[in-house]
Amino acid sequence: MTTAPVAVDSRPARKRRSASSSRRSGTALTPASGLGLGVSMIWFSLLVLIPLSAIVVKASGGGWSTYEAVLTSENTRAALQLTVVSALLITLVNMVMGTIIAWVLVRDRFHGKAILDLVIDIPFAMPTIVAGLVLLSLYGPQSPIGVQVNGTRWSVLLAMAFVTLPFVVRTVQPVLEELDTDVEDAAASLGSSRFTTFRRVVLPALVPAIFAGAALAFARGISEYGALVLISGNLPRKTEVVSVRLFSFLEGGNTEAAAAVATIMLFVALLAIVALDMIQRRVARRG
Amino acid sequence: MSIEVKGVSKRFGDFVALDDVNVSLPTGQLTALLGPSGGGKSTLLRIIAGLDSADTGTVTIAGTEATHLPPQKRNVGFVFQHYAVFKHMTVAKNVAFGLEIRKRPKAEIAAKVDELLRLVHLSQFAHRLPSQLSGGQRQRMALARALAVEPTVLLLDEPFGALDAKVRKELREWLRRLHDEVHVTTVFVTHDQEEAMEVADEIVVINEGRVEQVGTPDELYDEPANDFVMGFLGDTTVLNGVRLRPHDVHLSRAPELAGAAEGVISRLLRVGFEVRATVLTDDGEEVHVVLTRTHARQLELREGDRVWVTPASGAASVPPMVATAG
Repeated sequence: MTTAPVAVDSRPARKRRSASSSRRSGTALTPASGLGLGVSMIWFSLLVLIPLSAIVVKASGGGWSTYEAVLTSENTRAALQLTVVSALLITLVNMVMGTIIAWVLVRDRFHGKAILDLVIDIPFAMPTIVAGLVLLSLYGPQSPIGVQVNGTRWSVLLAMAFVTLPFVVRTVQPVLEELDTDVEDAAASLGSSRFTTFRRVVLPALVPAIFAGAALAFARGISEYGALVLISGNLPRKTEVVSVRLFSFLEGGNTEAAAAVATIMLFVALLAIVALDMIQRRVARRG
Repeated sequence: MSIEVKGVSKRFGDFVALDDVNVSLPTGQLTALLGPSGGGKSTLLRIIAGLDSADTGTVTIAGTEATHLPPQKRNVGFVFQHYAVFKHMTVAKNVAFGLEIRKRPKAEIAAKVDELLRLVHLSQFAHRLPSQLSGGQRQRMALARALAVEPTVLLLDEPFGALDAKVRKELREWLRRLHDEVHVTTVFVTHDQEEAMEVADEIVVINEGRVEQVGTPDELYDEPANDFVMGFLGDTTVLNGVRLRPHDVHLSRAPELAGAAEGVISRLLRVGFEVRATVLTDDGEEVHVVLTRTHARQLELREGDRVWVTPASGAASVPPMVATAG
C-alpha cells in the first residue's frame, strides 16, 4: 500500500532527471576512470595547456600594438607566408606520396620490403639537426651529386618533405592492411575498372587516415627548425621561416614579439587542423 | 550449358587446389558445389568469376570463351561469405554501384534499385549504412547488388557461412524462392550437405581438388558413387561388410529376415524424436541403428537386449534382400 504511491511519485521525477541528464548519465565516471581522467588532465595541463596560455598571456602583455608591429613587419609577414604556404604544399605532396608508399608497402611483394618499411621512420626518429646536416652535405654547396638548393626556397620544401614523410604513410598503412580485398573483388565483378575501384571504394575508406596524417604533417611542417636552419640560409623575405624568425626575436630579447608570433602560429595550426577535419568529413560523406 | 569448365587445374605453391576439373553447369538451375573446407570449391568459383586464374584449362560462360577475360567483362554476380559491402555507401548506393559504373540514366537506376530492394525486403533500409544492418540483411543487400547488373550467372561463395543457424535456415529457403522467381543460373559453394540438398537442383561434390560426383540431391543420397560421397552426405555404418545409413538398418526382436545378423544392444541414446542404438553383432561388428522414438517404444528396447539387424529393403548402396515369410 505504501510503496505504490511512492513509486508513482518518483516516476515523473526520474523521467525529468533522465531527460535533462541523459547525456551526462551516459558518461558517468567510475572511481577508476575518474582517476584516469584526472591524471591525464593534470599531465595534459602541465605539458600543454599551461605553457600555451602562458604564451598567450605573455603576448597580450604587450597589448594589441605588439601584434600590429609584428604583423606590419615585412620580414615577419614574409616568414609567416613562406612557412604556411610551404607546409601546405608539402602536406598535399605527402597526401599523394604517402598514400602511394603505404599502398606499395601493404599490397606489393618485393625484396627489401621489410627494410623499406623500417627506413620510412628514419626522418622521424633522427634528430632534426642531423637531418639538416645530411641535407646540407647532399644538396649544399659541396653537393656530390651536383644539386645545390641551399639558400633557395626549394631547400625549405625539401627539408619539410624530409621530416614529414612518415606521417601519412604510417596513418594510412594500418587502415590499408585492414581493408578487405573482397570489397575490391566485388567492385571488379560489378564491372568497375581498377582506377574506379580505387577512387570510389578504396579511397573513401582511406580518407580519414590520409587527413589525419596530413594534419600531423602540416603541424610538423610549420614548426620545423632543425632540418631547415642549416640548408635554407635563413635569408629574410626569401628563405627565413617562422621558427627561425622567432628564434632571432628571442635572441634579440624581444620576447613579446616572439610570443605574438607564437600565438599567431598557434592559431594557424588550430585552423589547419579544424579545416582538415572538416574537409575529411565532407569527402568521407560524399563517397 | 551455361558454364562449361574444362580441364581446370590450379596450384598454390605445392598445394593442388584443383586437379583437372571438368564440370558443366546447366542454364537456369541452382547448383551447389559441395565439399569439405580446403577441397577447392571456392577456388573453382573464383576461377569462374575471373577473380583467380586457372593454371590450365578453359572456362566458357554462356557460350563465350571467358578463360582470359577480366572479371569486369564476364558479367557474373558474385556474393562473398563476409558480404564485402561498400561501408561508406548507403544500402541504395551499394545496390546502384554496378549500374552507375555502366552509366545508366539516373531514373532507370533509381527504379531498378527500388525494385531490387523490394525483392530482398530491404526497401525501408535504403538510406541506412551497411553497418546499421544485421548480417542476414547485409547478405541480402549484397545479393541485390550482384543481381542489379543482370548477370548471366550468379556465384555465391559460402553465402550463409557467417550467419547463425536460424538466419542461415531462413535465408536458404528464401534463396530457393528467389531463384524460382528470378531464374538466373546460380552456383553456390557450401560445406553443409543439408544446405546443398535442401536448396540445390544439382550438386557437384568436390574433394581434394577433384569432382567426386555430380547429380541431383536424391541421386547423390541414394546412389553415392563412392564411400566419400556417401560419408559426406550423412552418417554411415557397416553391416555385413556393406556401408549403409543407420536409419536404413532394420532392427527386430526375432529373426524375421534371411541373413539377419544377431547381436546385443550395447548402448541406447535418445535425442529428441530419434533413438540411436549401437548393436554389437556376434560377428564382432559394431552397427549403428537409428529408429524413431515411436518405433523404439513399440519394440520395448533395453540395453543388453538380443536383436537381429539387417539392411532394410530399399536401402542405399546395398543389393536388395529377399524377404522370408515373417
